[in-house]
Amino acid sequence: MATIDCAGLSVREINQAIRSAVANSDTEITLVNPGGQHNLSVAILSPVHINIKGSVGYYCGGLIDKATVEIQGSAGWGLAESMLTGKVIVHGSAGNGAAAAIRSGTVVIKGDAAARAGVSMKGGLIIIGGNCGYMSGFMGQKGTLIVCGDAGAAFGDSMYETVCFVGGETSDLGTDTVVETLAEDDLKFLQQALEEHLPDKLNEPGFTVERFKKIVSGRKLWNFDKQDWKTWKDAL
Amino acid sequence: MCGIACYIDKANGNRAAVGSTIFEMLNALAVRGPDSAGVALYGPISDAMLLRVKLGEHADAGNNSAFEKRGIEVADSVSTLAKVRKVSTTGEYLRLELDFDGDPRALEQQIQRVDDQVEVVSMGRSLEIVKQVGSPENLNNTYHLADFVGSHGIGHTRLSTESRIDLSHSQPFWAHGSPDLAIVHNGHITNYLNMRRQYEQKGVRFYTENDSEIIGVYLGQQITNGLSLEEAMRASLNDFDGSFCYLAATPDTVGFAKDRFGLKPLVYVETDAFVAVATEEISIRAAFEGFFEVKEAPVNEVKIWQL
Repeated sequence: MATIDCAGLSVREINQAIRSAVANSDTEITLVNPGGQHNLSVAILSPVHINIKGSVGYYCGGLIDKATVEIQGSAGWGLAESMLTGKVIVHGSAGNGAAAAIRSGTVVIKGDAAARAGVSMKGGLIIIGGNCGYMSGFMGQKGTLIVCGDAGAAFGDSMYETVCFVGGETSDLGTDTVVETLAEDDLKFLQQALEEHLPDKLNEPGFTVERFKKIVSGRKLWNFDKQDWKTWKDAL
Repeated sequence: MCGIACYIDKANGNRAAVGSTIFEMLNALAVRGPDSAGVALYGPISDAMLLRVKLGEHADAGNNSAFEKRGIEVADSVSTLAKVRKVSTTGEYLRLELDFDGDPRALEQQIQRVDDQVEVVSMGRSLEIVKQVGSPENLNNTYHLADFVGSHGIGHTRLSTESRIDLSHSQPFWAHGSPDLAIVHNGHITNYLNMRRQYEQKGVRFYTENDSEIIGVYLGQQITNGLSLEEAMRASLNDFDGSFCYLAATPDTVGFAKDRFGLKPLVYVETDAFVAVATEEISIRAAFEGFFEVKEAPVNEVKIWQL
Protein backbone atom coordinates (compact mmCIF):
# COMPACT_ATOMS: atom_id res chain seq x y z
CA MET A 1 0.00 0.00 0.00
CA ALA A 2 1.61 3.24 -1.15
CA THR A 3 0.13 6.72 -1.23
CA ILE A 4 1.57 9.41 -3.47
CA ASP A 5 0.58 13.04 -2.93
CA CYS A 6 0.84 14.64 -6.38
CA ALA A 7 0.53 18.23 -5.13
CA GLY A 8 3.67 20.13 -6.06
CA LEU A 9 5.20 17.16 -7.92
CA SER A 10 6.03 17.16 -11.62
CA VAL A 11 4.54 14.49 -13.89
CA ARG A 12 7.92 12.76 -14.05
CA GLU A 13 8.24 12.71 -10.26
CA ILE A 14 4.74 11.23 -9.89
CA ASN A 15 5.40 8.52 -12.46
CA GLN A 16 8.76 7.71 -10.89
CA ALA A 17 7.05 7.38 -7.50
CA ILE A 18 4.51 4.99 -9.07
CA ARG A 19 7.31 2.96 -10.62
CA SER A 20 9.28 2.69 -7.42
CA ALA A 21 6.12 1.57 -5.59
CA VAL A 22 5.64 -1.11 -8.26
CA ALA A 23 9.30 -2.12 -7.89
CA ASN A 24 8.69 -2.42 -4.12
CA SER A 25 5.95 -4.97 -4.87
CA ASP A 26 3.21 -2.60 -3.74
CA THR A 27 0.03 -3.77 -5.45
CA GLU A 28 -2.24 -1.07 -4.09
CA ILE A 29 -1.09 2.45 -5.06
CA THR A 30 -3.13 5.55 -4.30
CA LEU A 31 -2.61 8.97 -5.92
CA VAL A 32 -4.09 12.01 -4.18
CA ASN A 33 -4.33 15.57 -5.54
CA PRO A 34 -3.72 14.62 -9.19
CA GLY A 35 -5.03 18.08 -10.19
CA GLY A 36 -5.75 17.14 -13.81
CA GLN A 37 -2.09 16.45 -14.65
CA HIS A 38 -1.25 14.70 -17.92
CA ASN A 39 0.45 11.36 -18.65
CA LEU A 40 -0.14 9.76 -15.24
CA SER A 41 0.30 5.97 -14.86
CA VAL A 42 1.46 5.47 -18.43
CA ALA A 43 3.09 2.18 -19.45
CA ILE A 44 2.69 0.38 -16.11
CA LEU A 45 3.25 -3.29 -16.92
CA SER A 46 2.45 -5.07 -13.64
CA PRO A 47 -0.80 -6.34 -12.09
CA VAL A 48 -1.16 -3.42 -9.64
CA HIS A 49 -4.21 -1.36 -8.72
CA ILE A 50 -3.65 2.38 -9.08
CA ASN A 51 -6.40 4.39 -7.47
CA ILE A 52 -6.40 8.06 -8.50
CA LYS A 53 -8.44 10.26 -6.16
CA GLY A 54 -9.36 13.08 -8.50
CA SER A 55 -9.30 14.10 -12.13
CA VAL A 56 -6.52 13.46 -14.62
CA GLY A 57 -5.42 15.11 -17.87
CA TYR A 58 -4.35 13.52 -21.15
CA TYR A 59 -3.22 9.94 -21.83
CA CYS A 60 -3.84 8.54 -18.36
CA GLY A 61 -3.34 4.76 -18.25
CA GLY A 62 -2.02 4.67 -21.80
CA LEU A 63 0.11 1.71 -22.93
CA ILE A 64 -0.53 -0.25 -19.72
CA ASP A 65 -0.39 -4.03 -19.50
CA LYS A 66 -2.06 -6.05 -16.69
CA ALA A 67 -2.53 -2.99 -14.45
CA THR A 68 -5.83 -1.59 -13.19
CA VAL A 69 -6.14 2.19 -13.14
CA GLU A 70 -9.16 3.67 -11.39
CA ILE A 71 -9.90 7.39 -11.72
CA GLN A 72 -12.31 8.85 -9.18
CA GLY A 73 -12.87 12.03 -11.25
CA SER A 74 -12.80 12.82 -14.97
CA ALA A 75 -10.17 12.06 -17.57
CA GLY A 76 -8.88 14.21 -20.45
CA TRP A 77 -7.98 13.18 -24.01
CA GLY A 78 -6.53 9.78 -24.94
CA LEU A 79 -7.54 7.81 -21.85
CA ALA A 80 -6.01 4.28 -21.83
CA GLU A 81 -4.75 4.81 -25.36
CA SER A 82 -3.23 1.64 -26.86
CA MET A 83 -3.47 -0.37 -23.65
CA LEU A 84 -2.50 -4.04 -24.03
CA THR A 85 -4.45 -5.71 -21.23
CA GLY A 86 -5.72 -4.53 -17.87
CA LYS A 87 -8.55 -2.31 -16.80
CA VAL A 88 -9.18 1.43 -16.68
CA ILE A 89 -12.22 2.73 -14.79
CA VAL A 90 -13.34 6.38 -14.87
CA HIS A 91 -16.00 7.38 -12.38
CA GLY A 92 -16.63 10.71 -14.13
CA SER A 93 -16.49 11.50 -17.83
CA ALA A 94 -13.73 11.14 -20.41
CA GLY A 95 -12.44 13.52 -23.08
CA ASN A 96 -11.83 12.86 -26.77
CA GLY A 97 -10.30 9.62 -28.02
CA ALA A 98 -10.99 7.54 -24.92
CA ALA A 99 -9.71 3.95 -25.28
CA ALA A 100 -8.38 4.69 -28.75
CA ALA A 101 -6.60 1.75 -30.36
CA ILE A 102 -6.77 -0.53 -27.31
CA ARG A 103 -5.62 -4.07 -28.07
CA SER A 104 -7.38 -5.84 -25.22
CA GLY A 105 -8.52 -5.27 -21.65
CA THR A 106 -11.49 -3.30 -20.38
CA VAL A 107 -12.24 0.42 -20.19
CA VAL A 108 -15.25 1.49 -18.14
CA ILE A 109 -16.41 5.14 -18.29
CA LYS A 110 -19.30 5.69 -15.90
CA GLY A 111 -20.17 9.14 -17.26
CA ASP A 112 -20.01 10.36 -20.86
CA ALA A 113 -17.24 9.85 -23.37
CA ALA A 114 -16.53 12.76 -25.75
CA ALA A 115 -15.71 12.51 -29.47
CA ARG A 116 -13.91 9.53 -31.04
CA ALA A 117 -14.25 7.06 -28.16
CA GLY A 118 -12.82 3.66 -29.11
CA VAL A 119 -11.49 4.74 -32.49
CA SER A 120 -9.50 2.03 -34.18
CA MET A 121 -9.92 -0.34 -31.24
CA LYS A 122 -8.24 -3.67 -31.94
CA GLY A 123 -9.86 -5.75 -29.22
CA GLY A 124 -11.07 -5.56 -25.66
CA LEU A 125 -14.22 -4.14 -24.15
CA ILE A 126 -15.30 -0.53 -23.71
CA ILE A 127 -18.35 0.27 -21.59
CA ILE A 128 -19.70 3.82 -21.47
CA GLY A 129 -22.40 4.46 -18.87
CA GLY A 130 -23.57 7.71 -20.45
CA ASN A 131 -23.45 9.05 -24.01
CA CYS A 132 -20.59 9.05 -26.45
CA GLY A 133 -19.54 11.85 -28.81
CA TYR A 134 -18.96 12.34 -32.51
CA MET A 135 -17.30 9.56 -34.57
CA SER A 136 -17.04 7.05 -31.75
CA GLY A 137 -16.08 3.55 -32.84
CA PHE A 138 -14.57 4.87 -36.10
CA MET A 139 -12.58 2.15 -37.91
CA GLY A 140 -12.96 -0.27 -35.01
CA GLN A 141 -11.15 -3.48 -35.91
CA LYS A 142 -12.18 -5.90 -33.17
CA GLY A 143 -13.57 -5.95 -29.65
CA THR A 144 -16.83 -4.67 -28.22
CA LEU A 145 -18.10 -1.15 -27.59
CA ILE A 146 -21.10 -0.77 -25.27
CA VAL A 147 -22.76 2.64 -24.98
CA CYS A 148 -25.60 2.72 -22.43
CA GLY A 149 -26.76 6.21 -23.47
CA ASP A 150 -26.96 7.91 -26.86
CA ALA A 151 -24.51 7.44 -29.70
CA GLY A 152 -23.04 10.66 -31.12
CA ALA A 153 -23.04 11.62 -34.80
CA ALA A 154 -21.38 9.28 -37.34
CA PHE A 155 -21.26 6.43 -34.83
CA GLY A 156 -19.39 3.31 -35.91
CA ASP A 157 -18.22 4.80 -39.21
CA SER A 158 -16.12 2.54 -41.49
CA MET A 159 -15.73 -0.30 -39.00
CA TYR A 160 -14.12 -3.67 -39.45
CA GLU A 161 -15.15 -6.28 -36.87
CA THR A 162 -15.92 -4.25 -33.75
CA VAL A 163 -19.36 -5.05 -32.37
CA CYS A 164 -21.26 -2.12 -30.85
CA PHE A 165 -24.26 -2.07 -28.55
CA VAL A 166 -26.12 1.20 -27.96
CA GLY A 167 -28.82 1.58 -25.31
CA GLY A 168 -30.06 5.04 -26.34
CA GLU A 169 -30.47 7.07 -29.52
CA THR A 170 -28.79 5.93 -32.73
CA SER A 171 -30.24 8.49 -35.10
CA ASP A 172 -26.98 9.34 -36.85
CA LEU A 173 -25.02 6.21 -37.65
CA GLY A 174 -21.80 6.34 -39.66
CA THR A 175 -21.10 5.00 -43.14
CA ASP A 176 -21.46 1.27 -43.70
CA THR A 177 -23.16 0.41 -40.43
CA VAL A 178 -25.85 -2.23 -40.02
CA VAL A 179 -28.29 -2.61 -37.13
CA GLU A 180 -28.74 -6.26 -36.23
CA THR A 181 -31.33 -7.90 -34.04
CA LEU A 182 -30.08 -8.93 -30.62
CA ALA A 183 -29.57 -12.67 -30.34
CA GLU A 184 -30.02 -14.60 -27.10
CA ASP A 185 -26.22 -14.70 -26.73
CA ASP A 186 -25.99 -10.93 -27.10
CA LEU A 187 -28.50 -10.38 -24.30
CA LYS A 188 -26.61 -12.78 -22.09
CA PHE A 189 -23.31 -11.09 -22.91
CA LEU A 190 -24.70 -7.59 -22.18
CA GLN A 191 -26.24 -8.72 -18.91
CA GLN A 192 -22.97 -10.31 -17.79
CA ALA A 193 -20.78 -7.40 -18.91
CA LEU A 194 -22.95 -4.84 -17.13
CA GLU A 195 -23.29 -6.97 -13.99
CA GLU A 196 -19.54 -7.27 -13.83
CA HIS A 197 -18.46 -3.74 -14.74
CA LEU A 198 -21.39 -1.36 -14.30
CA PRO A 199 -23.94 -3.02 -11.98
CA ASP A 200 -25.51 0.30 -10.92
CA LYS A 201 -26.74 0.79 -14.47
CA LEU A 202 -28.93 -2.32 -14.27
CA ASN A 203 -30.61 -0.93 -11.16
CA GLU A 204 -31.72 2.23 -12.94
CA PRO A 205 -35.50 2.24 -13.37
CA GLY A 206 -36.53 1.14 -16.84
CA PHE A 207 -33.03 0.07 -17.84
CA THR A 208 -32.91 -3.37 -19.43
CA VAL A 209 -30.51 -5.04 -21.81
CA GLU A 210 -33.40 -5.59 -24.25
CA ARG A 211 -33.32 -1.88 -25.14
CA PHE A 212 -29.87 -2.14 -26.74
CA LYS A 213 -29.31 -2.09 -30.48
CA LYS A 214 -26.48 -4.07 -32.01
CA ILE A 215 -24.48 -2.22 -34.63
CA VAL A 216 -21.88 -3.87 -36.83
CA SER A 217 -20.10 -3.21 -40.09
CA GLY A 218 -22.04 -3.68 -43.33
CA ARG A 219 -18.74 -4.85 -44.85
CA LYS A 220 -19.34 -2.81 -48.01
CA LEU A 221 -16.08 -0.93 -47.57
CA TRP A 222 -13.92 -3.94 -46.85
CA ASN A 223 -13.04 -4.54 -50.48
CA PHE A 224 -12.85 -1.93 -53.18
CA ASP A 225 -15.36 -2.44 -55.95
CA LYS A 226 -15.40 -0.10 -58.93
CA GLN A 227 -19.07 -0.90 -59.52
CA ASP A 228 -19.83 0.46 -56.11
CA TRP A 229 -18.07 3.79 -56.60
CA LYS A 230 -20.89 5.81 -55.03
CA THR A 231 -20.57 4.08 -51.65
CA TRP A 232 -16.86 4.88 -51.65
CA LYS A 233 -17.41 8.45 -52.71
CA ASP A 234 -19.85 8.96 -49.81
CA ALA A 235 -17.54 7.24 -47.35
CA LEU A 236 -14.58 9.38 -48.26
CA MET B 1 -1.42 25.05 -29.25
CA CYS B 2 -2.75 27.87 -27.10
CA GLY B 3 -4.59 27.92 -23.82
CA ILE B 4 -7.90 29.69 -23.28
CA ALA B 5 -9.84 30.15 -20.08
CA CYS B 6 -13.06 31.71 -18.86
CA TYR B 7 -14.44 32.37 -15.41
CA ILE B 8 -17.92 33.58 -14.54
CA ASP B 9 -18.67 34.34 -10.91
CA LYS B 10 -22.24 33.57 -9.84
CA ALA B 11 -21.94 34.29 -6.13
CA ASN B 12 -20.56 37.79 -5.59
CA GLY B 13 -22.47 40.02 -7.99
CA ASN B 14 -19.93 42.04 -9.89
CA ARG B 15 -17.46 42.24 -7.00
CA ALA B 16 -15.63 38.94 -7.49
CA ALA B 17 -11.86 38.56 -7.66
CA VAL B 18 -12.04 37.83 -11.37
CA GLY B 19 -8.49 38.98 -12.08
CA SER B 20 -6.77 36.63 -9.67
CA THR B 21 -8.95 33.64 -10.64
CA ILE B 22 -8.30 34.08 -14.36
CA PHE B 23 -4.60 34.50 -13.56
CA GLU B 24 -4.52 31.19 -11.64
CA MET B 25 -6.30 29.46 -14.52
CA LEU B 26 -3.93 30.93 -17.11
CA ASN B 27 -0.86 30.19 -15.05
CA ALA B 28 -1.75 26.46 -15.08
CA LEU B 29 -2.09 26.65 -18.88
CA ALA B 30 1.11 28.61 -19.40
CA VAL B 31 2.99 25.55 -20.72
CA ARG B 32 0.60 25.50 -23.68
CA GLY B 33 1.76 28.90 -24.85
CA PRO B 34 4.79 30.74 -23.50
CA ASP B 35 4.77 33.47 -26.17
CA SER B 36 2.26 35.89 -24.74
CA ALA B 37 -0.52 36.16 -22.20
CA GLY B 38 -3.58 38.34 -21.85
CA VAL B 39 -6.91 38.81 -20.13
CA ALA B 40 -10.20 40.51 -20.92
CA LEU B 41 -11.91 41.37 -17.64
CA TYR B 42 -15.44 42.66 -17.10
CA GLY B 43 -15.99 44.99 -14.17
CA PRO B 44 -19.12 46.76 -12.95
CA ILE B 45 -20.65 48.85 -15.78
CA SER B 46 -19.17 52.33 -15.58
CA ASP B 47 -20.77 55.57 -16.75
CA ALA B 48 -17.37 56.39 -18.24
CA MET B 49 -15.96 54.85 -21.41
CA LEU B 50 -12.82 52.90 -20.51
CA LEU B 51 -10.01 52.67 -23.04
CA ARG B 52 -6.76 50.77 -23.01
CA VAL B 53 -4.44 52.17 -25.66
CA LYS B 54 -1.16 50.57 -26.71
CA LEU B 55 1.48 53.29 -26.96
CA GLY B 56 4.11 51.07 -28.55
CA GLU B 57 5.73 47.66 -28.49
CA HIS B 58 7.79 46.57 -25.54
CA ALA B 59 10.98 46.91 -27.57
CA ASP B 60 10.88 50.70 -27.24
CA ALA B 61 9.53 50.71 -23.69
CA GLY B 62 13.06 51.39 -22.45
CA ASN B 63 12.56 54.89 -23.72
CA ASN B 64 9.83 55.87 -21.30
CA SER B 65 9.89 59.55 -22.14
CA ALA B 66 8.83 58.72 -25.71
CA PHE B 67 5.92 56.67 -24.31
CA GLU B 68 4.89 59.43 -21.93
CA LYS B 69 5.04 62.02 -24.69
CA ARG B 70 2.90 59.82 -26.90
CA GLY B 71 0.45 59.27 -24.04
CA ILE B 72 0.02 63.01 -23.63
CA GLU B 73 -0.48 63.37 -27.39
CA VAL B 74 -3.19 60.70 -27.33
CA ALA B 75 -4.97 62.29 -24.36
CA ASP B 76 -4.82 65.70 -26.09
CA SER B 77 -6.15 64.23 -29.29
CA VAL B 78 -9.03 62.50 -27.47
CA SER B 79 -10.01 65.69 -25.69
CA THR B 80 -11.28 67.12 -28.99
CA LEU B 81 -14.00 64.41 -29.00
CA ALA B 82 -14.56 63.59 -25.34
CA LYS B 83 -14.03 64.88 -21.85
CA VAL B 84 -11.05 63.07 -20.33
CA ARG B 85 -11.82 62.13 -16.72
CA LYS B 86 -8.75 60.14 -15.83
CA VAL B 87 -5.44 59.21 -17.46
CA SER B 88 -2.82 56.75 -16.29
CA THR B 89 0.06 54.82 -17.84
CA THR B 90 1.25 51.29 -16.97
CA GLY B 91 3.67 49.24 -19.06
CA GLU B 92 2.87 49.79 -22.71
CA TYR B 93 -0.62 51.03 -21.99
CA LEU B 94 -2.37 54.32 -21.61
CA ARG B 95 -5.64 53.91 -19.70
CA LEU B 96 -8.32 56.50 -20.26
CA GLU B 97 -11.69 57.17 -18.64
CA LEU B 98 -13.83 59.34 -20.86
CA ASP B 99 -17.24 60.98 -20.99
CA PHE B 100 -18.14 59.75 -24.42
CA ASP B 101 -21.37 58.72 -26.14
CA GLY B 102 -20.31 59.13 -29.76
CA ASP B 103 -19.21 56.77 -32.51
CA PRO B 104 -16.55 54.36 -31.19
CA ARG B 105 -14.98 54.08 -34.64
CA ALA B 106 -14.51 57.84 -34.88
CA LEU B 107 -12.87 57.86 -31.45
CA GLU B 108 -10.60 54.99 -32.42
CA GLN B 109 -9.57 56.68 -35.66
CA GLN B 110 -8.84 59.91 -33.85
CA ILE B 111 -6.54 58.10 -31.41
CA GLN B 112 -4.72 56.13 -34.05
CA ARG B 113 -3.92 59.25 -36.01
CA VAL B 114 -1.36 60.14 -33.33
CA ASP B 115 1.17 57.48 -34.30
CA ASP B 116 1.50 54.21 -36.27
CA GLN B 117 2.43 52.41 -33.05
CA VAL B 118 -0.75 53.46 -31.27
CA GLU B 119 -3.62 50.95 -31.16
CA VAL B 120 -6.82 50.88 -29.14
CA VAL B 121 -6.59 47.48 -27.43
CA SER B 122 -9.95 47.70 -25.70
CA MET B 123 -12.92 50.01 -25.40
CA GLY B 124 -16.06 49.62 -23.36
CA ARG B 125 -17.94 50.53 -20.19
CA SER B 126 -17.12 47.21 -18.51
CA LEU B 127 -14.35 45.56 -20.56
CA GLU B 128 -10.64 46.06 -19.96
CA ILE B 129 -7.98 44.11 -21.83
CA VAL B 130 -4.33 43.81 -20.90
CA LYS B 131 -1.96 41.56 -22.80
CA GLN B 132 1.75 41.39 -23.39
CA VAL B 133 4.58 39.21 -24.64
CA GLY B 134 5.70 36.66 -22.04
CA SER B 135 4.14 34.48 -19.36
CA PRO B 136 0.94 34.99 -17.34
CA GLU B 137 3.21 35.52 -14.35
CA ASN B 138 4.87 38.52 -16.04
CA LEU B 139 1.46 39.88 -16.96
CA ASN B 140 0.35 39.61 -13.36
CA ASN B 141 3.52 41.30 -12.12
CA THR B 142 2.98 44.25 -14.44
CA TYR B 143 -0.78 44.72 -14.11
CA HIS B 144 -1.59 43.25 -10.66
CA LEU B 145 -4.57 41.27 -11.90
CA ALA B 146 -5.60 40.49 -8.31
CA ASP B 147 -6.67 44.13 -7.91
CA PHE B 148 -9.36 43.70 -10.53
CA VAL B 149 -12.89 42.96 -9.35
CA GLY B 150 -15.80 42.17 -11.62
CA SER B 151 -18.23 39.52 -12.77
CA HIS B 152 -16.36 37.53 -15.42
CA GLY B 153 -13.35 37.36 -17.64
CA ILE B 154 -11.58 35.44 -20.39
CA GLY B 155 -7.87 34.81 -20.82
CA HIS B 156 -5.33 33.50 -23.29
CA THR B 157 -1.85 32.11 -23.32
CA ARG B 158 -0.32 31.91 -26.77
CA LEU B 159 1.90 29.60 -28.76
CA SER B 160 2.33 31.49 -31.98
CA THR B 161 2.08 29.35 -35.11
CA GLU B 162 1.59 31.72 -38.00
CA SER B 163 1.94 35.32 -37.05
CA ARG B 164 4.41 37.47 -35.24
CA ILE B 165 4.92 37.59 -31.49
CA ASP B 166 4.21 41.08 -30.19
CA LEU B 167 1.63 42.84 -28.10
CA SER B 168 -0.76 43.55 -30.98
CA HIS B 169 -0.76 39.90 -32.10
CA SER B 170 -1.45 38.69 -28.56
CA GLN B 171 -4.92 37.80 -27.34
CA PRO B 172 -7.65 38.54 -26.20
CA PHE B 173 -8.81 40.54 -29.20
CA TRP B 174 -11.27 43.34 -28.78
CA ALA B 175 -13.74 43.42 -31.69
CA HIS B 176 -12.63 46.82 -33.00
CA GLY B 177 -15.63 49.08 -33.35
CA SER B 178 -17.90 47.04 -31.02
CA PRO B 179 -17.42 48.28 -27.44
CA ASP B 180 -17.22 45.58 -24.74
CA LEU B 181 -16.98 42.58 -27.13
CA ALA B 182 -13.84 40.44 -26.77
CA ILE B 183 -12.68 36.97 -27.84
CA VAL B 184 -9.94 34.44 -27.18
CA HIS B 185 -9.19 31.61 -29.59
CA ASN B 186 -7.29 28.32 -29.73
CA GLY B 187 -6.94 26.92 -33.24
CA HIS B 188 -6.73 28.00 -36.85
CA ILE B 189 -9.32 29.74 -38.98
CA THR B 190 -8.17 28.43 -42.36
CA ASN B 191 -10.48 30.58 -44.50
CA TYR B 192 -9.22 33.67 -42.68
CA LEU B 193 -7.60 35.30 -45.73
CA ASN B 194 -10.74 34.98 -47.86
CA MET B 195 -12.97 36.35 -45.13
CA ARG B 196 -10.53 39.13 -44.35
CA ARG B 197 -10.44 40.18 -48.01
CA GLN B 198 -14.24 40.38 -48.06
CA TYR B 199 -14.33 42.53 -44.95
CA GLU B 200 -11.53 44.77 -46.23
CA GLN B 201 -13.51 45.38 -49.39
CA LYS B 202 -16.26 46.71 -47.12
CA GLY B 203 -13.74 49.06 -45.50
CA VAL B 204 -13.03 47.13 -42.29
CA ARG B 205 -9.51 47.70 -40.99
CA PHE B 206 -7.42 44.84 -39.60
CA TYR B 207 -4.67 45.56 -37.13
CA THR B 208 -2.71 42.28 -37.20
CA GLU B 209 -1.96 39.25 -39.36
CA ASN B 210 -3.38 36.95 -36.68
CA ASP B 211 -6.24 34.78 -37.98
CA SER B 212 -7.96 35.03 -34.59
CA GLU B 213 -8.63 38.72 -35.16
CA ILE B 214 -11.30 37.75 -37.72
CA ILE B 215 -13.47 36.19 -34.98
CA GLY B 216 -14.15 39.47 -33.18
CA VAL B 217 -14.64 41.30 -36.47
CA TYR B 218 -17.05 38.61 -37.68
CA LEU B 219 -19.10 38.57 -34.46
CA GLY B 220 -19.18 42.38 -34.31
CA GLN B 221 -20.45 42.56 -37.90
CA GLN B 222 -23.09 39.86 -37.34
CA ILE B 223 -24.34 41.64 -34.22
CA THR B 224 -24.49 44.93 -36.17
CA ASN B 225 -26.59 43.02 -38.74
CA GLY B 226 -29.09 42.17 -36.00
CA LEU B 227 -28.02 38.78 -34.68
CA SER B 228 -27.58 38.06 -30.97
CA LEU B 229 -24.12 36.97 -29.82
CA GLU B 230 -25.40 33.39 -29.56
CA GLU B 231 -26.86 33.47 -33.09
CA ALA B 232 -23.65 34.99 -34.44
CA MET B 233 -21.59 32.26 -32.75
CA ARG B 234 -23.86 29.53 -34.13
CA ALA B 235 -23.52 31.01 -37.63
CA SER B 236 -19.74 31.01 -37.19
CA LEU B 237 -19.70 27.20 -36.93
CA ASN B 238 -20.57 27.10 -40.63
CA ASP B 239 -18.76 30.24 -41.74
CA PHE B 240 -15.38 29.46 -40.17
CA ASP B 241 -13.25 26.69 -41.60
CA GLY B 242 -10.54 24.93 -39.62
CA SER B 243 -10.05 23.67 -36.11
CA PHE B 244 -11.10 26.05 -33.42
CA CYS B 245 -12.38 26.61 -29.94
CA TYR B 246 -13.09 30.18 -29.05
CA LEU B 247 -14.68 32.12 -26.21
CA ALA B 248 -16.59 35.35 -26.73
CA ALA B 249 -17.74 37.75 -24.04
CA THR B 250 -19.81 40.89 -23.53
CA PRO B 251 -20.88 42.44 -20.20
CA ASP B 252 -23.96 40.19 -20.00
CA THR B 253 -23.17 37.13 -22.15
CA VAL B 254 -20.30 34.66 -22.32
CA GLY B 255 -20.04 31.58 -24.50
CA PHE B 256 -17.85 29.10 -26.29
CA ALA B 257 -17.90 27.64 -29.79
CA LYS B 258 -16.23 24.42 -30.86
CA ASP B 259 -15.66 23.30 -34.45
CA ARG B 260 -17.52 20.43 -36.08
CA PHE B 261 -14.64 17.95 -35.86
CA GLY B 262 -13.70 18.65 -32.26
CA LEU B 263 -10.02 19.02 -33.09
CA LYS B 264 -9.24 21.36 -30.21
CA PRO B 265 -9.78 20.51 -26.56
CA LEU B 266 -12.15 22.48 -24.34
CA VAL B 267 -13.68 21.47 -21.01
CA TYR B 268 -16.22 23.23 -18.84
CA VAL B 269 -17.99 23.04 -15.51
CA GLU B 270 -20.94 24.89 -14.04
CA THR B 271 -21.76 24.90 -10.32
CA ASP B 272 -24.06 27.08 -8.20
CA ALA B 273 -21.10 29.39 -7.53
CA PHE B 274 -19.26 29.65 -10.83
CA VAL B 275 -18.77 28.68 -14.47
CA ALA B 276 -15.29 27.77 -15.64
CA VAL B 277 -14.20 26.90 -19.17
CA ALA B 278 -10.65 26.00 -20.13
CA THR B 279 -8.52 24.20 -22.66
CA GLU B 280 -7.48 21.66 -20.03
CA GLU B 281 -8.98 20.54 -16.72
CA ILE B 282 -5.62 21.25 -15.08
CA SER B 283 -6.49 24.93 -15.34
CA ILE B 284 -9.82 24.55 -13.55
CA ARG B 285 -8.39 22.32 -10.81
CA ALA B 286 -5.63 24.87 -10.19
CA ALA B 287 -8.15 27.63 -9.50
CA PHE B 288 -11.07 25.87 -7.81
CA GLU B 289 -11.31 23.41 -4.97
CA GLY B 290 -14.07 21.01 -4.10
CA PHE B 291 -16.10 18.31 -5.82
CA PHE B 292 -17.45 19.07 -9.26
CA GLU B 293 -17.38 17.26 -12.57
CA VAL B 294 -15.64 18.72 -15.58
CA LYS B 295 -16.83 17.73 -19.06
CA GLU B 296 -15.44 17.94 -22.56
CA ALA B 297 -17.42 20.35 -24.74
CA PRO B 298 -19.29 18.56 -27.56
CA VAL B 299 -18.29 19.11 -31.19
CA ASN B 300 -20.10 21.62 -33.42
CA GLU B 301 -21.53 23.26 -30.34
CA VAL B 302 -22.15 26.73 -28.97
CA LYS B 303 -22.93 27.17 -25.31
CA ILE B 304 -23.94 30.47 -23.82
CA TRP B 305 -24.25 31.81 -20.29
CA GLN B 306 -26.33 34.91 -19.61
CA LEU B 307 -25.28 36.92 -16.60
